[in-house]
Amino acid sequence: MRWGMVIDLTKCTRCHACVAACRIEHFLPLHVTWPRLLALETDAGGKPELTTFPVRCNQCKDAPCVKVCPTEATTQRPDGIVVIDPNKCIGCRYCVIACPYQNRNFLSKEKDPGYFPGYELTGFEKKGKKLYPHQVGTTEKCNFCVERIDAGMEKGLIPGKDRDATPACVNICQARAMTFGNLDDPDSNVSVLIRDRKGFTLQPEYGTEPSVYYVDGRIGGKESNKAPLHAQTGSNMQHLSSVDSDAKKRFDGLA
Amino acid sequence: MGERKVHYTTCIGCHGGCGVKVTTEDGVIVHIEGNPDSLTRGTMCAKGLSTIQHIDNPYRLKYPIKRSGPKGSGKWERISWDEALDTIEEKMKSAIKDFGPQTIAISQGTGRGYNRYTHRLARSLKTANIITPGYVCHSPRLGLFGLVTGYGRLYCDYHGWGGEFPKTQIMWAKQLEISSADSEMCNWFIQSLDYCKNLIIIDPRQTAYASRATLHLQPRPGTDSALALAMMNVIINEGLWDKEFVDNWTYGFEELKERVMPMTPERASEITWVPKEKIIQAARMFAIDTPGCIQVGSSIERQANCGYTIRAITCLMGLCGNIERPGSMISWVLPETGLIEDFFLELPLTDEMKSHIIGIDKFKMGAARTCNPDTMVKAILSGDAPIKVWLSVGGQQIVHMANTKEVVQAIEKVEFMVHCDQFMGPMAQAADIVLPSAHFLEMDDVYDMHPRFMIEAHNKVVEPPGEAKSNIWIFNEIGKRIVPELWFDTVEDCLDYQVKKGQGMNWKKFSEQLVSGCWGKDQVYYKYKTDYWKKGGGFPTPTGKFEFHSNKLEELGYDPLPLYREPGESPVSTPDVFKEYPIVMTSGYRQPFYFLGQYRNIPWLRSFMEYPTAQIHPNTAKKYGIKDGDWMWIESRRGKIRQKCRVFPGILEGVLMATANCFYPEEPPETYHGVFISNPNVLTSNDHLDPMYGSPDLTCLLCKIYPCKEEDLQENVFKTEEYGTVQQLGGGKTALTEKG
Repeated sequence: MRWGMVIDLTKCTRCHACVAACRIEHFLPLHVTWPRLLALETDAGGKPELTTFPVRCNQCKDAPCVKVCPTEATTQRPDGIVVIDPNKCIGCRYCVIACPYQNRNFLSKEKDPGYFPGYELTGFEKKGKKLYPHQVGTTEKCNFCVERIDAGMEKGLIPGKDRDATPACVNICQARAMTFGNLDDPDSNVSVLIRDRKGFTLQPEYGTEPSVYYVDGRIGGKESNKAPLHAQTGSNMQHLSSVDSDAKKRFDGLA
Repeated sequence: MGERKVHYTTCIGCHGGCGVKVTTEDGVIVHIEGNPDSLTRGTMCAKGLSTIQHIDNPYRLKYPIKRSGPKGSGKWERISWDEALDTIEEKMKSAIKDFGPQTIAISQGTGRGYNRYTHRLARSLKTANIITPGYVCHSPRLGLFGLVTGYGRLYCDYHGWGGEFPKTQIMWAKQLEISSADSEMCNWFIQSLDYCKNLIIIDPRQTAYASRATLHLQPRPGTDSALALAMMNVIINEGLWDKEFVDNWTYGFEELKERVMPMTPERASEITWVPKEKIIQAARMFAIDTPGCIQVGSSIERQANCGYTIRAITCLMGLCGNIERPGSMISWVLPETGLIEDFFLELPLTDEMKSHIIGIDKFKMGAARTCNPDTMVKAILSGDAPIKVWLSVGGQQIVHMANTKEVVQAIEKVEFMVHCDQFMGPMAQAADIVLPSAHFLEMDDVYDMHPRFMIEAHNKVVEPPGEAKSNIWIFNEIGKRIVPELWFDTVEDCLDYQVKKGQGMNWKKFSEQLVSGCWGKDQVYYKYKTDYWKKGGGFPTPTGKFEFHSNKLEELGYDPLPLYREPGESPVSTPDVFKEYPIVMTSGYRQPFYFLGQYRNIPWLRSFMEYPTAQIHPNTAKKYGIKDGDWMWIESRRGKIRQKCRVFPGILEGVLMATANCFYPEEPPETYHGVFISNPNVLTSNDHLDPMYGSPDLTCLLCKIYPCKEEDLQENVFKTEEYGTVQQLGGGKTALTEKG
């Protein structure tokens, strides 16, 4: 079992919802952000292209951050997720330097001035201090919403399939650009996507074997525009449907 | 862990209406996410999620306040609701008595669920001088699509309920993927792309989706109608039109044919700067690979040829039979709760009221039930005082209207103005009384934009700060004092009244149900082939047909057919101006984390792009000595602004795309919160307006650019480089929020 993520660059609109969802999920201090968007506006051979790479901790299989940590604060779980124990972290920042992807944040005091510096903390922030404490002087990063995965699996839910066991950023994406699942299972949603659409990782030359993959391509070109039955019936919302009864009467018998 | 409770409600971070799931612990919000059991399937955007920073936000307005210094001085004192409402009542009553009800203007921002309250209040007071941004956003589509459907819109059928998804999609001057605006939802559009053969993007600049679309057309801003006419020219000359639909269900085909013949792809290419091959390709795709739909963006409505442009695009839809067919353009069957706009439509707009609409003599489509704001500004400046009392909710006319300088001068002359808002902003600074409004997580209300297939519920999750009240409460209280017979004892009575058409429906039930909608098999396609609109079939038009030639427009004195007209300022229409201002400018640049003038005071959202940014091509930048990330001056004949330069290969040389609707909440009140620093409307003209709708050229004008010097950047806002911290708001946090 190794959790991984596939991000479809054809779908990402640079909307930043994943960043906001993470900030809510983990009550992130004002200037801390775990996932980031790398905005590229290129012009290769007179062919302009706009691409956004949503990046976050790659949960590398061969993670340099784990190796350099002198206190074993950064460890890798059997499911591949790299986690940091803030109680063991001494804030040496070796890992920040070792991470070739710059996906680690050192939480300094300046990064946590409160949402509205000079004013009282909001109710949400105060709750966050208890529900998801952040320790100034330690290093933080994306953890694939390990809390959601663990709590969800305890209830028998499947990460990547069941919302309550899936990372918050994956759930929130309007474009459904992110897919989450088990990289070790060759038939999983992520493995199939990587295989069918030539998934790639960022800078494979570092040899860290990231668990975050990307796929790219064109929009359109679909062979059929026929709607599947569930789309035709609007089955996901049918229980809330209510019809203009006059319209229905007028239409009945004519169809 | 404290006591947890889950609440379900509806977002209005933009127009959308995404389903929201909020978790509270001991009454404090601890989590926000999308409601998986909603039409948006549990997804949300950064704007909606960042509403958490509206709650307990120290800059929120908490109490009614009245001005205690000159206008724009930022001096305020707290008053009671009774004093505020008494004053408003007295001012309105005396305006009605001394000058007539038409001297009361009610204004709103872009439709955010309060449309029907502003309209009902105006109609109940017997004034039709309603000021809305509709004429530059959505009204032209509503009115001109209404010439096909009788009332309301033609929507893109992204749902597959009729068995098919659109095979060819045109996204015209719109990025639906970053904003659920104008009653369509980003999530629906993106899902429909899984079934799309051709995606055609028509946008002066590259977007992520344009990079990957089947075709990307980059027209010169303001020339869209030439493009649509040329596409029809290709379709007719190549015999690609839908013969069955055109022969049986349309009116005026021969005249349309004659009209589009001169607009060859070659000629259109000269006008629009789009290579003719691309025009031909787009036309063929849309005509051959049907069904197809066209999503029209409001940037087109910010042009002074918007009426005929939308007519041209509508004719293009009809020509290809992309009307009322599954996967094409459709007008929705309403939910059982009926048309939510009946809440104001039930009050008559009398001839007497109409005769006093400012601008009705000129703009017969746009100023038919609301006034033309630009004409009002000119009237005030010419010394008339057509408006004695102005009640404003939400919107920032100072920001979104053309020619900011004149707008400010005019608004400062209005004798008595009330503004309802969550935060202080430019309009609040021009007001005499400011009333604190509740956020959507703090109120009960029915949410709807326009005639679409569902209405939704806002359910109160937390209490508003201080004495802030929902807009529905504010409007009901004002209405009750002046025309009690048309308003309601309580907000709940008012909400019951709005959903009364639903079987056994009342607010309580609706609030639990969250949505009243009509979808799946209950939607009716091909309405014109049934008795739906007309016994025996047909369209709800004077001829009973889809009208290429519009008799209604002809009656009003307009050209019955679509036509092309250059923008008021362009290389073609004003070659002399072009010599000094050699760059075609548009203000259509939108960021997914701002919504028009909103959210620059929300730290999370501000962190994503701190300053308004304008895109220019690398060669343009080089030519004028501007580097990526530099501050540059953008100057037109009306004024000059500063925006950050983004060197961007995905835009044509000689075109500039500026970020629209920007002010700096942290800048001092005396400057109307920095509205003159970066807002493109400082540059736009209010002299050249669309003949039907009165819309000014906000997205097509001429400018010149040059780098800013160090001494040009003296305002406070330039002095921070720290992302995501909104500086302390200029002036009077204590007066607004603490004192009294």
